[in-house]
Amino acid sequence: MSEQDRTDLAAMEKTEEPDLDRGVIEAWAAKMISNPERAYRATFYVATIFFLVTTLFPFYWLLMVALTPRSDLSSVGVLTPGGFNPGAFVEIFTRLPFHRYIFNSFLIAVVATVIVLFVASLAGYVFGRLRFRAKNVLLLSVLVTSFFPPAAFFVPLNRLFNQNIDILRPLMQDGSLYNTPYAIFIPLSALYLPLSIFILMTFYSQIPDGLEDAARVEGTTRLGALFRIIVPLSAPGVATAGVLTFITVYNEYFFSSLMTDGRPGSWAPMLEGILRFQGEFEVLFNLMAAASIVAVLPVAILVIVAQEKIVSGLTAGAVKE
Amino acid sequence: MASVTLQDITKQYEDVTAVNDMNLEIRDGEFITFVGPSGCGKSTTMETIAGLTLPTEGAINIGDRDVTDLPPKDRGISMVFQNIALFPHMDVYENISFGLRLRKYDQEEIDRRVEEAADVVQLEGMMDRMPKEMSGGQRQRVAIARAIVREPDVFLMDEPLANLDAELRVHMRTQLQRLHRELDTTIIYVTHDQAQAMTMSDRIAVINGGVLQQVAPPLECYNEPANLFVAGFIGSPAMNFIEGEVIDGGFDSQYAQVDFDPATHGVSPGQDITVGIRPEDVFLEEDARKAASPTKAFDAVVDVIEPMGKEVNAYLLFDRDVEASAEGRGEGQLLINLAPDTDIAEGDDIRIVMDRENVHLFDRASGDAVTHSLE
Repeated sequence: MSEQDRTDLAAMEKTEEPDLDRGVIEAWAAKMISNPERAYRATFYVATIFFLVTTLFPFYWLLMVALTPRSDLSSVGVLTPGGFNPGAFVEIFTRLPFHRYIFNSFLIAVVATVIVLFVASLAGYVFGRLRFRAKNVLLLSVLVTSFFPPAAFFVPLNRLFNQNIDILRPLMQDGSLYNTPYAIFIPLSALYLPLSIFILMTFYSQIPDGLEDAARVEGTTRLGALFRIIVPLSAPGVATAGVLTFITVYNEYFFSSLMTDGRPGSWAPMLEGILRFQGEFEVLFNLMAAASIVAVLPVAILVIVAQEKIVSGLTAGAVKE
Repeated sequence: MASVTLQDITKQYEDVTAVNDMNLEIRDGEFITFVGPSGCGKSTTMETIAGLTLPTEGAINIGDRDVTDLPPKDRGISMVFQNIALFPHMDVYENISFGLRLRKYDQEEIDRRVEEAADVVQLEGMMDRMPKEMSGGQRQRVAIARAIVREPDVFLMDEPLANLDAELRVHMRTQLQRLHRELDTTIIYVTHDQAQAMTMSDRIAVINGGVLQQVAPPLECYNEPANLFVAGFIGSPAMNFIEGEVIDGGFDSQYAQVDFDPATHGVSPGQDITVGIRPEDVFLEEDARKAASPTKAFDAVVDVIEPMGKEVNAYLLFDRDVEASAEGRGEGQLLINLAPDTDIAEGDDIRIVMDRENVHLFDRASGDAVTHSLE
């Protein structure tokens, strides 16, 4: 319907019932009916504002708490800080080596993501592109592990990692994995692997067989075809799996806190660092808030960068041929 | 440049045998076409040559190397695929040079070869286009350039023209023949379209049900088909078949009789045989002189006439009681080609003769050809 038609229609309606006395709401409803695009736009804005407020307001308030000096914490307003003390963002690094905690988490998350993407790529290739006996049984058993609560694995793993294993002695001082990054990213990689396998499997299975055959005839091995052709064409899927894994591992607390003693030198993660601002007699909410904001930054940057990748991957018309 | 030898190739999937004990010698520099209906095993055969699937039994030699267990990349082959299979995330240059870059050629050599290949298929000035920005024909030319740039011993082409429109297909057909002349390389071509097989190949390998039916030059397959399947598959419109049996002094069936001496053609009275006659080898009785050696005349009724311009296809019934099948080629029916100015109309009673020189006899039990001429 063109703009012209619509105004004509509205005019017709008006001439048909010219003297109808309408209330404010009734008149507004009539206007929306004759011009539905306005209604759609209004709904869009309402929904957007709602989601923005519910997701962004906590951050805003975190910033307000962080800016409030320690002594004025009781007077933080809903929209305004109880004072102005940007020094909190410096203090978190001086009072504790908070950068070390962030580095720990970041490194653990990067290593876990690399391991997960590599192993899940191989597994995704097998499940998505090959036909073999007992494939579904195998796939199901891989997926089932991801349905277990992580806590179920904790006790056996904790016992295992506290054991002194002689083979590891040359690598670790006491031969135990406790207080090492291995104790964190090994179980976490394993836990988040099934989801990534599932995501990559669905993406890889959609790449036409001809492309893989072409790559192999042109001179790659199966593995070469996977990493040169299938993975690049599945960029959106790989980015999704990678971002999901990175964020979950970076934010992970349960395993990370139990597999270390909480000191920064023992590879304790970022969340452990934030909680360290909670003293015996006092909780330094402003420092915790400042630390939280700093800790969120790497993830936020990653998501923004990866989002571009995802979009560019999609617009390349990757899976079409 | 190399010959290709298939020795006892069998490919067994869980419950089907895709290729059954195939033996084939492909000569150096030959353009050979695997042709057959879909699902006949021709693509599987090509995939085993490429190394994309491993044969259950048998051996493959390219040149004098046994390549049976080599991966595709080490076989000295290149391949053009039915769905073209350009890498969508690479531009034309990257697509063509992919194999060379993997083999770590130096940049100068790569540039020179890519330019040469692009020249052969007329792709100049398109090096930085992405595949999705190109038409079907252009993409297919890129795929061919990618195949020739590595100067392989053997080209494999798996229905490369199937996804192109009819006009482009005919154009690319001549281009491929020209390419074969220029490169002088062994080309193995797979198609289900017997017209492509007839027009392009030095030899045709007709495959059905995973079994090789006949390997011969196109005209030999046409004029001397080895069995009923080849006779029915090669040639368009297809050969007519009349089922009957051998009697003393010739062939007898419900609708037609042909006189010949059974003994000289290696059949004996009582044997079930099928007479095969191509549409162009049947004539109206008054035109019988056009046949080198006409048989005696039969009665027939004109069912449907299809004027084609340079000829007329006439679907005949041997008598009015025959029930015409939808495709017009069933029991008691006959398709013939006539000159475009022939004066017949649907429903006419006519008399026809066959050309004895081109009457084929097939043993019905085995399907094998017995003779290709009654002279």
